[in-house]
Amino acid sequence: MKSPIEFKLYVITGENYHPGRNMLEVIESALRGGADIVQLRDKISSKRELVEKAKRLKDLTARYGVPLIVNDHPDVALAADADGVHLGQEDMPISVAREILGPKRIVGLSTHRIEQARAAEWEGADYIGVGPVFPTATKPGRQAVTTAYVSQAAADIRIPCVAIGGITENNADEVLKAGARRLCAVSAIVGHDDPEAVCRRLLEKIEAWNSKTPKFEEGLNRTGAPEIRVVINGRNERTQAATLLELAAQYKLESRNIVAELDGEVVPRRLWGETSVRGGCAVEFVHFVGGG
Amino acid sequence: MFSEAETEERYSRQIRFAPIGPRGQRRLGEASVLVVGAGALGASLAQHMVRAGVGRMRLVDRDFVELSNLHRQTLFDEEDAEAALPKAVAAAAKLRRANGRARIEAFVADVDKHNVEALVADTDLVLDGTDNAATRLLLSDACFSRGIPLVYGGVAGSAGMSALLVPGDHCCLRCLLGTEDASDVDETAQTCDTLGVISPAVEWVAALQASEALKLLTDNRAALRGTWVMLDVWNFAIKEWKLPPAVDSCPYCGWGERETAVMDRYSAAGVGGAALYRDGERDGRQTDDDPEAGAPVLLCGRDTFQLKLDPSVSLEEWKRLLLAAGCTITADNRYLVRALTVEGERIVVFAEGRSLIQGAGEADRVMTIYRHYLRGENRRDTVEKSDRV
Repeated sequence: MKSPIEFKLYVITGENYHPGRNMLEVIESALRGGADIVQLRDKISSKRELVEKAKRLKDLTARYGVPLIVNDHPDVALAADADGVHLGQEDMPISVAREILGPKRIVGLSTHRIEQARAAEWEGADYIGVGPVFPTATKPGRQAVTTAYVSQAAADIRIPCVAIGGITENNADEVLKAGARRLCAVSAIVGHDDPEAVCRRLLEKIEAWNSKTPKFEEGLNRTGAPEIRVVINGRNERTQAATLLELAAQYKLESRNIVAELDGEVVPRRLWGETSVRGGCAVEFVHFVGGG
Repeated sequence: MFSEAETEERYSRQIRFAPIGPRGQRRLGEASVLVVGAGALGASLAQHMVRAGVGRMRLVDRDFVELSNLHRQTLFDEEDAEAALPKAVAAAAKLRRANGRARIEAFVADVDKHNVEALVADTDLVLDGTDNAATRLLLSDACFSRGIPLVYGGVAGSAGMSALLVPGDHCCLRCLLGTEDASDVDETAQTCDTLGVISPAVEWVAALQASEALKLLTDNRAALRGTWVMLDVWNFAIKEWKLPPAVDSCPYCGWGERETAVMDRYSAAGVGGAALYRDGERDGRQTDDDPEAGAPVLLCGRDTFQLKLDPSVSLEEWKRLLLAAGCTITADNRYLVRALTVEGERIVVFAEGRSLIQGAGEADRVMTIYRHYLRGENRRDTVEKSDRV
C-alpha cells in the first residue's frame, strides 16, 4: 500500500490571474515560498498545449520535489509523467481514473458535501478538495459550502482534506480554526505580485494552527476503537483515545509540563489515565508557565 | 512605635474597602507570609504584602540585581544594579522605607530541600515568585505537608498563570503537573529567558496572586476564586478553570502513605532555621555534605550555572583567590563578590558558599572555570597534563 500523500499548501495554476507573466515563473515563485503540491488547471488550452505545459511544469516541480497533479485529464497526466490527476464530481469515476493511472499515482476529487467526501474516501481517493469555502471567481455560480463543511470533513474524513475556494491571507485563519490542516489557493497566490511571500505567510498560518493541535500520531491509533469527536484547544478533532492520558499521548504531551482541562475543570496529571474522554467534550492542554 | 491613629490613617482607604474593614486590617497585621523569589513577580508580591500591612514577611532570593532586571522589576534602581546587591537585600531595604512597621526578614539563598522547611515554618501563606518548576514543586511539598496555602504565579512573554492552592480544598502542584521528582521537570518550557517578558504581564499576574492572598489573609475565604487563571495582556485574553480537589492517593494533598515527609527527611539531618543567613550574617552555617554539592546546576535558560562552594571560605578569601587567578573584581559588597575571568565569563560568589557562573555556555566550561578560579587547581592540572604527554 502506498503511504498517504502529505502536503500543506496546494497551489493551482490560473493564467487568467496573471496576464503578462509567465506561468512557470509564477509557479516557481510559489514553490520557493513553500507550496508543496501543484495542480495544472486549464480549461481553455488544447490537449496538445496541455501536454506541453504539463511536461514543463513536471520538470519544474520535480526540481522542488513536489508532486504535479493534472486537472481532469488522466491521459495528459500519463503523457507528462505527472504524479496524479484531480477530478470533479461530473468527471469520470475514481475507479476508472485509477485503472488508467495505476495504483501508484494520486487521484484527488472535489467534494461539496459530506456524503460526497465519504463516498470519495470509500472509493479510494487519495485526497479530497473541500469547498468552495467562500464564493470564488474560479467556480462562478457555485454555492459556497462555508467553514461548517470544513469542520465536518475535518472531523469525519481520514484521507487528507484540502480546503479550497476563495481562500486568502485574510480568511485563512478562519478556515484553519474550523479544522483545516491544508489550504489551497488560486487567485490569492498566482494573482499576487509576490506569490513566494504569500505562500510563506499562508504556511506560517498553517504551521501556527497545526502546532496548536500537534500532529496526530497515527501509530498510537488503537485499531477498531470507536472514534469520537472532541474539541481540543478550540479546534474540532477526532480521536480514538479513551482517556485523557491516551489523548495527551497522541499529541506527545504526556512527558511535558502540561496543565490539562476537561470541560472547564483542571484534571490533575495523576488522574489522566483514569479520566475518560467522551464524544463532544472540550479539552485544553496548556504549557505550565515557569517564568517569574 | 506607631499609634492606633497612625494605623487608621495609613490603611484608611484599605479599611474603607468593605470586605477588609478594621477586622481584616488587624488580621493582616497578625499575618506572616513567605515570598519566594524577589525578581519581577516576587518583588511585586513583596511590595503588595508589605504596603498592605502584613505583619511579618520573609523574603528569599538567590540572585542579585542586574541592569536587565530594571525594565520589569519595579522595586530596583540603577544604584542597586551598579552595586550588584542581592535582590532580597535590595528589596527589603526599599520596603522597610515603604512600611517601617513591617517585620521583614531577607534571606540570600537558593531554596532547596535543606532550607525549605525552615523557610515555610510558621507562615500563614507562601507566595510564589520563583522562576522554575523544580523550586515550585519543592514549595508545594513543603506547604501541603504543613497545611500552608501556596499561591502560584508564572509569567512569560505577555502571558501568565496563577492559582491559589489551599491544602484540604485543592490538589497540590505535584498532582497537577504529575512530576515525581526534579528530574521529570521540564524546564525548557516557557520562561522569561526564552520568550522574553513584559512588565504589564508580570504586574497582572502579581495582582491576581496578591488579591487572592489578601482575601485569604483577611478571612474572605468565600471570595477566593478556586480557579487556575490564565491570561495574556497583549492579545487580551483571560481564562479560568476550576481547580480539582485533593487526590486521595497523594501523600501531600491526599491521604497517601508518605514514605518520608519533606520535614522528616530534612529535620532528621539537623537542618533548622539556624541554617539560614539573615541579610548576609555568617553565623549558623551548616556544612553541606550533600553529594550533589559541587555539581553545576543550570539555572533556567539564561546561561547561568549555580555551583555550591566550600562555605567555610570567607568572601575576603574568595576575593583574594579570584584576584590571584587573574580576575577583575567588578562588584564587592558584604553579600557577594563579582569577578570577570580572563576569558570574559562572570563569576559571582555569595557569602553563603554559593556561586553563579555566567556566560560560560556549557557545563564543561563551567567545571574548568570552577577548577581554575574557585579551587586553584590550575597548576596541578597543568602538571598532570604535561606528565601524561
